[in-house]
Amino acid sequence: MALFSNEEQDNREVETIIGPSVKVEGNFSSEGNITVEGVVHGTLKTKHNLKIGSKAKVKAEVEANDLFLSGEIRGNVKVLGKAKLTQSAKIFGNLDTKILTIEEGAIMNGKCTMVAETEALIKEIKKNSKE
Amino acid sequence: MYFYIYDSFLSDKKYTSTLNKIETRLMDLGINGRTEKLSILKSLQEIVQEAVKKGAETMIAVGDDNTVSQIIKLLPDLNITLGIIPIGNNNKIAQILGIPLGEAACDTISSRIIEKIDLGKANDFYFISSLEIPSQKDITMDCGNYQISPLSENETISICNFDTSLNEKDTANKTICNPKDGILEAVFSPQSKRSNLFNVFKKQYSTNSVFPLKQLKIKCSKEGLPVIADGQIKIKTPVTVKVIPKKLKVIVGKNRMF
Repeated sequence: MALFSNEEQDNREVETIIGPSVKVEGNFSSEGNITVEGVVHGTLKTKHNLKIGSKAKVKAEVEANDLFLSGEIRGNVKVLGKAKLTQSAKIFGNLDTKILTIEEGAIMNGKCTMVAETEALIKEIKKNSKE
Repeated sequence: MYFYIYDSFLSDKKYTSTLNKIETRLMDLGINGRTEKLSILKSLQEIVQEAVKKGAETMIAVGDDNTVSQIIKLLPDLNITLGIIPIGNNNKIAQILGIPLGEAACDTISSRIIEKIDLGKANDFYFISSLEIPSQKDITMDCGNYQISPLSENETISICNFDTSLNEKDTANKTICNPKDGILEAVFSPQSKRSNLFNVFKKQYSTNSVFPLKQLKIKCSKEGLPVIADGQIKIKTPVTVKVIPKKLKVIVGKNRMF
């Protein structure tokens, strides 16, 4: 949230900030962007962007449009767009994403599936089987 | 018909000149009406009921944030438009609504730019600005599918409709809640352990947590923890809080902050 003018007010994105001094438990979903610097247990979903800070601890099933990860996720992660893992990022679980960027030092323990590539492969197999 | 409610603190002689100027300006603009002064002998509820019976359509609170908060509790279920003539030092609500101090507010009222704004409701009490929750580690906010809890005791928690802790210099960094978006913001602000003098120069806004919500329940293991609405009304936990969209018609100024 930021300072808004009269025209911008209805269009502004609702943003959730889970700060370092807060713990969220349960099925958390948001219509806007989410920034996590604290603790989340359960599920974490947004149709928009998800930013997980370096000190954040997320033990949850995660879904987002774009993911910018600097902290730790323990659970499966599904990203519809881009996933960027910085050098301090840690994922202990499976990752589904369309586009992936990983910096040196990032830790990923789990299966990584590039969704776009898989979809293309399935289409090709189906096409071949028809022929 | 305009109905003016003067707060009791305005009976102090230092406000006589300001009130005279306001009354003259209201006459000039042709928006003068009935006036009532708050006192120990007459409750605000009686005054408002009487005003409604006499056909008041616009009620003007002459005073400060406390005056406005008191009147707001009584107006939401009546078809009355609220106006404010701010006098004194504590006028952040008027500032956010874009209403200038004293005599200049008469022109704002005369222009009659009316906005329907949201109100918060905590159990049976309406609030316009915020609900303050005292620091307590075992506070939980039950938001239906999930719960939010602070990790330490040193946490200032507020549920904001709009933020009266606003300081113009801080607008770039501060959360400014919009009273027209149909959403309340739960804001968790960690209190720094450093000295207050240091905090004046270095505020840590980036560590705040902000949750946009429509409804929540505030629970505490300690029953009956007082939660304060608009800095005045004490409501004891558990408290069910929800936003009532576009509940109050209010006259605003051109320089309003939403």
